[in-house]
Amino acid sequence: MDSPDHTLYREWLYLDADGELAEEDRPAWERHLAACPECAAERRDLEALDVLLARERLPVRDGFRRQVMAALPTVGWEARAPRAWGFPLAMVVLLAGLATALLGNGAPAVSGWQAVTAVGDMFQAGLLAGAGLLAASWRGVGMVFQGTLTPAALAGFAVFVLCLNLFLVSLLKRRKGLPARRS
Amino acid sequence: MTRGVEPPSDEELVAAVLAGDPERFGELVERYQVRLVNYLFRLLRNPDDAHDLAQEVLVKVYQALDRFDPQFRFSTWLFRIAQNSAIDQIRRRRFRLVSLSPETADGEGREWDLPAPERGPYGDLRNRERGDAIQEAIEALPWEYRELILLRHMGELPYEEIARMKEMPLGTVKNKLFRGRQLLKEKLQEFLSD
Repeated sequence: MDSPDHTLYREWLYLDADGELAEEDRPAWERHLAACPECAAERRDLEALDVLLARERLPVRDGFRRQVMAALPTVGWEARAPRAWGFPLAMVVLLAGLATALLGNGAPAVSGWQAVTAVGDMFQAGLLAGAGLLAASWRGVGMVFQGTLTPAALAGFAVFVLCLNLFLVSLLKRRKGLPARRS
Repeated sequence: MTRGVEPPSDEELVAAVLAGDPERFGELVERYQVRLVNYLFRLLRNPDDAHDLAQEVLVKVYQALDRFDPQFRFSTWLFRIAQNSAIDQIRRRRFRLVSLSPETADGEGREWDLPAPERGPYGDLRNRERGDAIQEAIEALPWEYRELILLRHMGELPYEEIARMKEMPLGTVKNKLFRGRQLLKEKLQEFLSD
């Protein structure tokens, strides 16, 4: 029972029970199991122990994954992630597109510099619109674009205001922190 | 015939989260929630505390995700954080953990104890007896065996990961696991044929 060979088999017994027995040792192990009733009985007991422990597992409560995901905070590394810059980048592209549309608006009375300042004023107007001063900013935009406001520019500005508001809302939104510990 | 698609590895999921897809973290949660909750339950003896601490651990893991070193397995990292968190919680409660063996790894008896286990998850009397017996048998193990048994049976970590996590030689991990299981088997012999 305690021969050197059997000491090795005892080790193989536990390795096999844990699924860690090397494949090259398996044939020798299987032969020994077939010939040694004591090891075979021990092997059965270990399997029964594994089954017993697995059977008494606590089930995870419903919604655990959802609770964990809801509790995840905003972390510094998220701002460095490529996708976190997607929306600001889209905003820059939108602004550039809008500037291009204004410059190519076919309004010869508006110089390049006036178009750039108009975009700047539009950005400012958009911020004011986001703060609930849409009427005042709209009048301001009308003053800037006097006579040059075409349907295309109007539509572009509406999209711009919408995107800017969504961007501002996303900045204000924060994930919940850790839930309170149960007493 | 449709060929099965290999699920992404833990490290691939971590990379996806860090690349800007935080929802992929949910797949990691799904993958480890049972093991993590059960591991903590066996340490804390309370299902609610186990779930709460599991959630805290996963949030800590998420917060530190950019510091994850891919030379380690994600599961090793996760359970190291879980074990540290569980020990911190036990210390904070200032309970006494009684070991039936006077000898522990450092030769001193531990001084923590835990409240009586919750009987909630168990149904009929035999199930309750079995559940109580398992919990008592696990708690009767010396800490040096208990932590490895829990990492192996609840955390389902392979030997190499346990050795790496505990910074122990592989042979030592195997010997302690063998001994711990012998002790468990002796205490639970009555229930092995159920």
